Amino acid sequence: MNLGDQKKDQFSKQFSTGLILFAILMMVAIFLFQYAPIIAFFWISGLAFGYILQRSRFCFVAALRDPALTGSTAVTRGVLVALALTTIGFTAVKYFYHVNGQTIPGQNYIQSIGMNTVVGGTIFGIGMVIAGGCASGMLMRIGEGFKIHLITLSGFFIGTMLGNNHLEWWSNHLLWIKDGVFLPDLFGWVGALIIQLMVIGLLYRLAIKWEEKQEL
Amino acid sequence: MNMEDQKKFRKWFKPSWSYVTGAVLLSILQVITLIVTQEPLGITSAFSYWAMRLQGFLGFGTPDHWAVVTQLMVFRETLWFEENLVTLRNLGIILGALLSALLASQFRLKKIKSGKQLMAAALGGLLMGYGSSIASGCNIGAFFSGIGSMSLSGWIFGLFLFVGALIGGKLLLRFLI
Repeated sequence: MNLGDQKKDQFSKQFSTGLILFAILMMVAIFLFQYAPIIAFFWISGLAFGYILQRSRFCFVAALRDPALTGSTAVTRGVLVALALTTIGFTAVKYFYHVNGQTIPGQNYIQSIGMNTVVGGTIFGIGMVIAGGCASGMLMRIGEGFKIHLITLSGFFIGTMLGNNHLEWWSNHLLWIKDGVFLPDLFGWVGALIIQLMVIGLLYRLAIKWEEKQEL
Repeated sequence: MNMEDQKKFRKWFKPSWSYVTGAVLLSILQVITLIVTQEPLGITSAFSYWAMRLQGFLGFGTPDHWAVVTQLMVFRETLWFEENLVTLRNLGIILGALLSALLASQFRLKKIKSGKQLMAAALGGLLMGYGSSIASGCNIGAFFSGIGSMSLSGWIFGLFLFVGALIGGKLLLRFLI
């Protein structure tokens, strides 16, 4: 057997292992479904999330890092497309609940704004670039076989524990807008949607211009 | 299935998707998740949950903190995956990526390259953990889901993520590459 054949053999082995893994994952899904459908949903949506991230090489770190580091904005534009589409989808769902007089879902993701947002965002940004992966990227790469991201995960866990214990301080100091700002409350549903999509569109154009400038 | 079909079937899993394909599929996943679970996607709440549980088990922390921990512990004496469904989803992310990598024959056990890389990963993880804890979320929960939910906090978090990424990029060039 020459090297090429060995390589081929290894490839087909991975594929067969993948098929077996798929069967196991689906059996777990059926078990969870019998237990409670919502639990099965969390399982399957996680699998789909990981599958999509790996297959499309979608990386939030690269999206925010590469424009300055390499000048490439390909992933950045991908993320902007995702932001625009999710905004449209979420707003449609939220508006539907709103006009039907039901509680709007997911409003607990409208976070308070304060120094915690500024400091949290900045050090998260530094950390993800140094570690070469954010929360989703780290989990995805553990699945791909990167041992290093088990270390990242351990650090993440310890950092979370530290942060949890300072949470009280951050929520009592330099908190500017406690209840957060839901943009439709400021500009109306249509107004907020248009403004947000325009901002995303502007950033998209900027990303194209930025990359063109690098090539010159 | 004959050999030819088998080959074709296998090849289907091989090519990478475009970023736009990824963006469309992730957005669909976000919207379905919002409808079914009444919440957008998030990851780090699971880490927070287990950090609190561990701390409760070890028994240290501020009194306020304790109340949350005990509250979480009292009525959650069930199977682990029922306790925190986000944890189950996070495990799904790892296994979904593993599945994708295997079907495309891209799975490689990658060794830790150097002590430097190890330090960078540990420090980076630590910073992300602290940051996501005080800002209640990561690139997914606070940034992607936050902006998708038309929350101003998502935009501000995103702006400072970018600032942090600039600083991180400088550090990367200075110390790591």
